[in-house]
Amino acid sequence: MDRRKFLRFTAGGTVGAAAVSAVYMAPFHKEPQKGPQRVEIPTTCEMCVNKCSVIAVVENGIIHKLNPNPANPRSRSMVCARGNAGLQQVYDPARLKRPLIRAGARGEGKWKPATWDEAFDFAAQKLTAIKEKYGPQATIWSSTESFQETFFKSLGLAFGSPNVERHPTLCLASVNLAYSLTFGTVPAFDLANAKYIIMSGANRLESFITPDTMDLIESAMEKKARLVYLDPRFTVTASKADEWYPIKPGTDAAFILAMINVITAENRYDKEFVSTYTVGFEQLAEYVKPFTPEWAEVETEIKAKDIVRIAREFSDAAPRAVYYAGRRSSWYRDDFQMRRAQAILNAIVGSWDRQGGMVPNQKIALGEVSYLPWDDPTAPRIEDMDKNFPLAAKGDGAYLKMRENVLAGVPYPVKGWMVHKQDPMNALPEQAKTLRVIDQMDFIGVIDVQMSDTAWYADVIFPESTYLERQDPVEVLSGMVPVVVYRQAAIKPLHDTKTTLEISQGLAKRLNLSQYFDYTIDQWIDAEVKELPLEAPLDYLKKHGVWVPPGGPKYGSTLTLEHRFITKSGKIELYSERLQEAGYDPLPKYTTPLQPPSGQYRLILGRRAYFTQANTTNNPWLNQFCPDNQLWIHPNSARDAGIADSELVEVASTVGAVKLKAHVTQEIRPDCVFMLHGYGKKSKWQRLVAGKGGADAEILETAWDKVSGGGAFHETFVKVRKA
Amino acid sequence: MKSIEWGFLIVSYLFLGGLSAGAFFASALATFLQHNGNRQLERIGRWGALLAPWPVSIGSTLLIFDLGNWYRFYKLFLHFRIVSPMSIGSWLLVLFTIVSLLYLWSWLDADDKRGLFAKIPRRLSVLQRYDYDLSPWRHHLAAIGFPLSICVGIYTGVLLGAVQSRPFWNTNLVAQLFLFSALSSGCAAIILALSLSKDTLSAEEFRFLYTMDIGLLVLEFFVVMPYVIHGELSVEAVKLSLGLILGGPFTVVFWVFVVGLGLLVPLTMEVWEMLPAVSGRGAIHYTKRMALSAAGLVLIGGFLLRYIFVFAGQRSSFP
Amino acid sequence: MAKASKRYALVIDSRKCLNCKACVVACRAENNVPLEFSRNWLNVELRGEYPRLLAISEPEQCHHCADPACVRVCPTGASFQRADGIVAINATECVGCRYCMIACPYNARFFRQDIGVVEKCDLCRKRVDRGEVPACVETCPSKVRVFGDINNPDSQVSQLLSRRQYRVKKPEAGTSPQIYYLL
Repeated sequence: MDRRKFLRFTAGGTVGAAAVSAVYMAPFHKEPQKGPQRVEIPTTCEMCVNKCSVIAVVENGIIHKLNPNPANPRSRSMVCARGNAGLQQVYDPARLKRPLIRAGARGEGKWKPATWDEAFDFAAQKLTAIKEKYGPQATIWSSTESFQETFFKSLGLAFGSPNVERHPTLCLASVNLAYSLTFGTVPAFDLANAKYIIMSGANRLESFITPDTMDLIESAMEKKARLVYLDPRFTVTASKADEWYPIKPGTDAAFILAMINVITAENRYDKEFVSTYTVGFEQLAEYVKPFTPEWAEVETEIKAKDIVRIAREFSDAAPRAVYYAGRRSSWYRDDFQMRRAQAILNAIVGSWDRQGGMVPNQKIALGEVSYLPWDDPTAPRIEDMDKNFPLAAKGDGAYLKMRENVLAGVPYPVKGWMVHKQDPMNALPEQAKTLRVIDQMDFIGVIDVQMSDTAWYADVIFPESTYLERQDPVEVLSGMVPVVVYRQAAIKPLHDTKTTLEISQGLAKRLNLSQYFDYTIDQWIDAEVKELPLEAPLDYLKKHGVWVPPGGPKYGSTLTLEHRFITKSGKIELYSERLQEAGYDPLPKYTTPLQPPSGQYRLILGRRAYFTQANTTNNPWLNQFCPDNQLWIHPNSARDAGIADSELVEVASTVGAVKLKAHVTQEIRPDCVFMLHGYGKKSKWQRLVAGKGGADAEILETAWDKVSGGGAFHETFVKVRKA
Repeated sequence: MKSIEWGFLIVSYLFLGGLSAGAFFASALATFLQHNGNRQLERIGRWGALLAPWPVSIGSTLLIFDLGNWYRFYKLFLHFRIVSPMSIGSWLLVLFTIVSLLYLWSWLDADDKRGLFAKIPRRLSVLQRYDYDLSPWRHHLAAIGFPLSICVGIYTGVLLGAVQSRPFWNTNLVAQLFLFSALSSGCAAIILALSLSKDTLSAEEFRFLYTMDIGLLVLEFFVVMPYVIHGELSVEAVKLSLGLILGGPFTVVFWVFVVGLGLLVPLTMEVWEMLPAVSGRGAIHYTKRMALSAAGLVLIGGFLLRYIFVFAGQRSSFP
Repeated sequence: MAKASKRYALVIDSRKCLNCKACVVACRAENNVPLEFSRNWLNVELRGEYPRLLAISEPEQCHHCADPACVRVCPTGASFQRADGIVAINATECVGCRYCMIACPYNARFFRQDIGVVEKCDLCRKRVDRGEVPACVETCPSKVRVFGDINNPDSQVSQLLSRRQYRVKKPEAGTSPQIYYLL
């Protein structure tokens, strides 16, 4: 071989070898280092509303892991699946990275990237046009809970709109109202120290891994407390409870009234507590006489002897006995009545402000930055709360009533919709109506971190920085032990995103409302923490992420003769005159619920431990546990409907139909079907769940609890057949 | 979590390794049994030697490419872990391959070598310097390689048998089973090669090869039977795993193709061919077609035996 | 008398497990495990007839056996056992032969096609060496897993094992697994 050929051969061989080795060795090359080696930054989780404390482990500028922060006595040393998956929200390649302005038709998914100036100008121009033509009340400002929600709300109010629509009427409004009207406040439940706990459908060991979950684990799971659980579905809580009853849906109030019947008839109530701290016992005792266990057996399909036994065990365990209130959306139009019955039951056995019972929340006062107050909006709320929901929390509105009025144009037209962090397309039932509202709007603006279904239909999208990239106001978690939690950025924002305050200020500038928002987030926080009994509160919070006031839970502060409950009578109201005056039942009214006609089933909802409503189903670390939702149906019902397991079925109500696979299982009553929330999405950016499974929002019928206005989500009957 | 990790590459390697071991074994045995000057079994010795290095080389190459990081195969030779059958096996294979190549070289005569060297391109002619004559070392190489070939045959069984968590494998009999199967495959390969050559088998060659193959097949049969019978009388985990070949997905392949067509049928054919020689009445029933068929069936049966063991074994576990 | 050397083990009370998947996600984050694999998993089962139903959820991962078959069969010594009992894999020495995967009675190992090596739970040894507990142990709402030194009679694991009955999985495989499931 001559030298030239040899050299060519060698060179070629070397290049080839280098290429091959580059391919094979690639996985072993490390990313170039940026940022300090490893830092731990305490902050607060935002994957659900529980605000557990986490410590972000940041390595080379990348969030590697979210560890628990044991300093928070509520979340203790726990981070649930969602909390752990939080960093996927930051590094989601499909998250919102820059402002977008709609380029095609609504829902088409065509977007034009915009600068912040363009986005603010466009939104402000649209909002101003609406204000000039229809008045500022023609805009809805809807939001769900967040540390920066207050800035968004303020913007709406300063703009002049009374229609600041919050999430409680899509959540626990009926619970809050029932307990407020009974006790003057909504208490916490001392599950950790209770000895007897009854839960109606509050699937605390699955639905929302919360501090309440931790408390329940401490008592019920360590066998220090007895757990009785009523649910048409065999959930995780059902599997861990001492007793599970597949109660007939809508009859929980019957169960409770029968318990009150037994307790009053057998003189098992706390006489001293009742006479000292309550009013209306005589009326109650008389009222519950017809609600016998035998009557309740027919209503609930739970044996009378079990009801009697449970009532007796419950009262024996009191005051360490609680009927847990629950914390989710209403089930039925008379949900409020059931929650009232719960509150009354807990009251008559004296489980108030005592260890193991209901305990009023303690708060920590935070300071406030002084800012210019705006004029209150002049127009009334669109739902006319005084007329329709006179006792409900006005500031929250009544979401579904609002939607009805918007569609009817009554009492005035609404043409603009600003949304913060919420996804009404999925949060509201009867999605067809939400789409009609969207059609009616001249302008829709959405603030979010991901392309939700609502953002998909918006005119302008303002991308928010994720909670791991933000500095937020300090928050207080009220409870038996209140804590102050702190949220600071673990990393600088990855993309061109802003905080809600910055977005509000950006809009305010163009709406000539800047004077009401002339503070920085740091000024806001400084004012908040000034009142805290700490030497350098901000340094402390930055370092620890949470502050716990010394002392621990206080029991009995309201059990003094001087204490006046925040009710009309100044006492705990078993019988509520206030309800009576407002035209409602002063004692809990029970109505036998309608049953689904033959061949139809009641659609019930619930949650999984690794999802939060609809906004986490697209997180790959969580989606992998449930890539699509399925319709749970009992084997007998499946047989009647001619459906096999994993078969595609069509589920139809009077307002819509969806297709999803059937999951034939014994874990549900034969007269009910169940599906998970957050699937069948329209937003194509949520690739994992777009068009996968079915959206319950499409088939749920519009219904709300009469007293609180809270959306009722178990009133829908559906037909199920092979697709 | 439960996946089939070792697939057809491993099955092929186990078969090819055993084939080489068997070919060497037969050749070495033939070499030993040669009395001075007697060249009756020489063709067997030669063919076995020519065959032996190549299946194992191919098999080893397959093994290397089965690795997650094939270029790391050299790490296997940086360690010697006596408790790991794979570690021992790696070294064994290398040794055996080298010995079998040298052994092959020792069987090449001058004509063969001239032909080989004629094929080498001129620029590599420097290799001609390495034309040593190893034929005097033939017996020694056979003697060294003989135990190595047995070890290679056994170790492929030990590789599986040493895995305590796979009840299908973890039996005392799997090493023997693989050994006998390997040796009979090697034998069958030589029968195949010689039957395809111009002059088919001589009487002595026939006797030697067929006695060996029949003996090995019989031994193999009497290892398979206790394996199944005792397994069925054993603990639950073993019974469950045997279910894979007693009603489970591998039943047909095992009984029809491995035991039937791979063992009993060729055994019967070979016995029938050999019968006259044993009973003394008449000429042997040797026909080329029969010999090729029987040998072919043995080879297929050997391959499928390993297929079943590798795949069914990975599906067996403790309950 | 306390032994000089540590021996780590896990004690698991499956009764408290909620099947919430926090441990799976925490492990994924801590150890950069790709989505298609998991170093730990939950064995879930539903038994019974409506309405008498029983749901079981049992966490599992590598059992870090005292007599690990996977370490024994490894031809390069890439699979090794530390003095404190943790069985780990040296990814640079692993050739990807997967013999260890076949030897494991618990199918605890998986093969990383992308980097050509075998991987499994290593009890977050970096965290352990820093004095922390494995991610799955720390993150759990019910504290189903307890991690500790069974050679130390005062550790929580030792206390539990001395006061409660327990079982191990597949003891017949003979590897002496070190995950103890409380009964």
